[in-house]
Amino acid sequence: MAYWSLFFRLIVRPVLRERARSVLVVFAVGLGVSVVLAIDLAGNAAAGSFRSSMETLAGDDDLEVTAAGGVPEQVVGQLATLPYPLRVTPRIEDHATVSSTGVTVALFGIDVIAEANRQQGRNLVIPKDRDSFQHINDRDAIWTTRGLGYRLGEAITLLVNDERRDYVVRGFVPESAQDSEDVVLMDLAAAQNATHKLGRVDRILLKVPEHPGLAVWQQKLRDVLPSGVALNPEGSQTAANRRMLSAFRWNLRILSYIALLVGAFLIYNTISVSVVRRRADIGTVRALGASRRAVLLAFLAEAAMFGLVGALIALPMGRLMATGAVRLLATTVNALYITSRPGALNLSAESVILALIVGVGVAVMSALAPAREASLVPPTEAMARGLREYTIRVERTRDAGIALVLAIAGALAARLPAVGGKPIFGYLSALLLIGASSLSIPALVYWITSVASTTLRRFMGVEAMLASRSLAGSLRRTSVLVGALSTAIAMMTSVGIMVGSFRQTVITWMDSQLPADLYLRPAGDPSMDRHPTISVDLTDRIANLPGVQSVSRFRAYEIEYQGLPVTLGSADTHESRYYRSSGFLSGRPATDVLQELLSGDSAIVSEPFANKHGVKAGDFVALPLGERVVRFRVVDVFYDYANERGYVIVDRSTMLRYLPDPSASNLAVYLAPGVNLETTRKEIEQAAANNEVLIFSNRDIRREAIRIFDQTFAITYALEAVAVLVAVMGIAGALMSIVIDRRREFGLLRFLGAATSQVRKLILVEAGLIGLLANLAGLMLGAVLSLVLIFVINKQSFGWTIQFHWPVKLLLAALSLVYLATIVAGIYPARVAQRLNPIEVVHEE
Amino acid sequence: MVLAQTAKSSPPSSADRRSPLLSVERVTKDYHTDGAAVRALKGVSMQVGCGEFVGLVGRSGCGKSTLLNLAGAMDFPTGGHILLDGTPTDELSEIQLTGLRREKVGFIFQSFQLLHTLSAVENVELPLLLAGHADPRPQALARLDSVGLAEFAHRMPHQLSGGQMQRVAIARALVHSPRLVLADEPTGNLDTATGNSILELLRRICTEQKTSILMATHSTESASFVDTVVRMRDGHIEEITRS
Repeated sequence: MAYWSLFFRLIVRPVLRERARSVLVVFAVGLGVSVVLAIDLAGNAAAGSFRSSMETLAGDDDLEVTAAGGVPEQVVGQLATLPYPLRVTPRIEDHATVSSTGVTVALFGIDVIAEANRQQGRNLVIPKDRDSFQHINDRDAIWTTRGLGYRLGEAITLLVNDERRDYVVRGFVPESAQDSEDVVLMDLAAAQNATHKLGRVDRILLKVPEHPGLAVWQQKLRDVLPSGVALNPEGSQTAANRRMLSAFRWNLRILSYIALLVGAFLIYNTISVSVVRRRADIGTVRALGASRRAVLLAFLAEAAMFGLVGALIALPMGRLMATGAVRLLATTVNALYITSRPGALNLSAESVILALIVGVGVAVMSALAPAREASLVPPTEAMARGLREYTIRVERTRDAGIALVLAIAGALAARLPAVGGKPIFGYLSALLLIGASSLSIPALVYWITSVASTTLRRFMGVEAMLASRSLAGSLRRTSVLVGALSTAIAMMTSVGIMVGSFRQTVITWMDSQLPADLYLRPAGDPSMDRHPTISVDLTDRIANLPGVQSVSRFRAYEIEYQGLPVTLGSADTHESRYYRSSGFLSGRPATDVLQELLSGDSAIVSEPFANKHGVKAGDFVALPLGERVVRFRVVDVFYDYANERGYVIVDRSTMLRYLPDPSASNLAVYLAPGVNLETTRKEIEQAAANNEVLIFSNRDIRREAIRIFDQTFAITYALEAVAVLVAVMGIAGALMSIVIDRRREFGLLRFLGAATSQVRKLILVEAGLIGLLANLAGLMLGAVLSLVLIFVINKQSFGWTIQFHWPVKLLLAALSLVYLATIVAGIYPARVAQRLNPIEVVHEE
Repeated sequence: MVLAQTAKSSPPSSADRRSPLLSVERVTKDYHTDGAAVRALKGVSMQVGCGEFVGLVGRSGCGKSTLLNLAGAMDFPTGGHILLDGTPTDELSEIQLTGLRREKVGFIFQSFQLLHTLSAVENVELPLLLAGHADPRPQALARLDSVGLAEFAHRMPHQLSGGQMQRVAIARALVHSPRLVLADEPTGNLDTATGNSILELLRRICTEQKTSILMATHSTESASFVDTVVRMRDGHIEEITRS
């Protein structure tokens, strides 16, 4: 009770007295925590709780049989006739777009009668009325989820591949069987027909007896299946997708902690200010019998108080932010990885605990050093203000020395490889560099303000000199403020440079790698894991148009390689003459590499694939194709920025040998010389009048790619903006405390002949100088961090080679904005300083 | 009652006293604390002539500092008038008051009030810089020299003794050659010997430069250095004694 009373009088009361500053600190911490919470919630909803759409209606099965290009139908018969009590459920799994709404849903083909007869599990329920049974074998009968809004017997048009097909709703998928996502379901044969997968199924689900165990059954069944067919526990695809998304989530989570790191700087500053300001109080209570421990705990409790209130504010704020973030994340997941629909946002007990731990934990950790310092100061020293600043000035050389050591350690860490696919050392390197920057800031501030103060006086008046001297005089506080803001600016700059470099690299890459005049793909939402096809007839019709010189057909399949999803593609490599630059890591001409691709079982792989799986030119990759496993020799590795999951590309003729489906996933159309683009485009549109395809010009496709790119990185910009906002709020709070601490000085200046406008200018110049120093330090650190991001973290996480590029306009705009925000943050404190009563503040001692 | 005794130098001429630099006319000053009005000055009238050294003597809380602040145009009286060099301060705008202070008033404080981030000479040149002087260094150095601190010009305040800091403060108060210096307990934080040397310095300045000084002090010993002792009690003047 006594301690509580002491805590209230010495800590809580001053905090309450300085309401504006306290509110700013709490809000800044709250914002930092809410970003972490929002990304956690949104990440869980969009990617963390990821469950493939294809797991809908999966039921209680144990194993699944899959193969690239589909499992041959005879495997179903083979499994069904084994002398084991197995339940064999073949399925077609694809996607269809509901024509009336444009919504893309999972499409399943199942053995409707068999499913209807099953009594256990989450089975399809066929309404027991006469109509349903009467139409059960109709080729146009489908069952939908009620969420699609169709009534029984109503007609529904679906877009499957490039075809429009009409169906009639004959029943509904029971709610117990669906996973919040809408689906359409039809008989297996109808689905095979619609998706042009005659003679094949996408997956066979198997229910095996409990004895003698899943592993034994897996082994028994493995022995009877063709080598190219995969047999895995049911849900393996979902697990593989989750693994694929983990790096994405991990990087995002790290980014979300930046705002919190900036918040930590501010807590450190707040508690340091509290310690400096209450040195006399500390001395008094120590003299009156308070132990060092009590002083330590009091200041830690102050920090915890800020953290706790910040975390409580963060709960609703984080939930709100998550609503916006989840949309952005879901777009990215769909654009870069896999079709998925975000789950519900749940502010669970775990989320609340996370916010509290993060808020209080970070606050207490960042207050540890100043609180410890408070506890160690002897009462006599505590009475002497100014000594601490003097000590800091003396220690700046030592700190600069430590900074150098940290910088070297950071550079060394950047050279270490990824751990388990995660760039642990890359992040460590970034952290060490941030530490190095923070520790070198006192020296930087002191040096710059010393050198610049006379010049500043000459150009900006005495207020500028006073401001710069005051910054150098309060080196500790200035360094923490500049450190916080420069860290935020550095992260913004580095991410800006990385994204800008990436964008420029993609643009350059598209210039050389998108040589065709027109591109076609089936209509509907594009996604990395869906590869609807264009009918062969249409392809032929287009190829025979007079204005068309040639058509390159690209076909893609989803396969799994080393437990991760990969896109297997085939292309007409005879079009290699159009490629303007190598595009290969080896630097060899495209014509040479693609010529080599024609010989035997050869493949080229994309850079992300090569990095993820440790593959290089000359290696062999074994891929399951149809019923066989085929070893392909890697001819070369190509730069690719379209797909993070990775590509393995073979020549079309090679692919057709193993998977004889001639349909293409998309077409690249090359026009004859001198032919008008718009005229030929119209001819193609006429030729495709009965097909649902989208036609893009070269320019369209580039614009669309950049749009998706910008959308993908929108969340990163948002995170950086929040970090900067937190820092600017911290600056406003810190300037408030500067005004409070130096009120006597401002009062004195009035006595010495300063006008109120000069006092205001002094604060604004001080804010401006903090902004300038932070911009300078932030830009330098940001440039270094961008190298780590581009060449270490990005490379190890995603495997992309990015060419360094300065996004000058973006950086100039962002830095100017931050600078302006810092000055704006000084307006209110400047007004407070201006209104101080000089008589009161000078004589209050 | 002990009054001001011998002046160390010759007192100002009668002509100077006929045209006072500072006139305080029936001044009252009220403060409002927690809703209650407290009258700090109760109809005070007095004058300070050019080159006159006036000591305001009285216990803490008698209104000395309040009178100094009003005299220095830092505050306005609730009633009555203050005329500084013939100009009524209550008729001036905020900007005009700042101009008046810059030109005619210098302040010296009990706790020196030096800026710790500036060196001695930088502290001294501050009033000139605030007034917009482009090159105040020579003046500042001359002032420091005049208070005997030329060799300490580039020292930081924490490298100076209390007496030296107060001398720097005096140099700062005089750097712009004000006609009136207001000193609030200038020896309050100093030992007796140092305090006396500061008082001697002020006396010398007053005499040599014809600068008027109004000094608040609670020490009757300090009063021995001044021309006129104004004894205050509970917000009013009890007695004025000229030496």
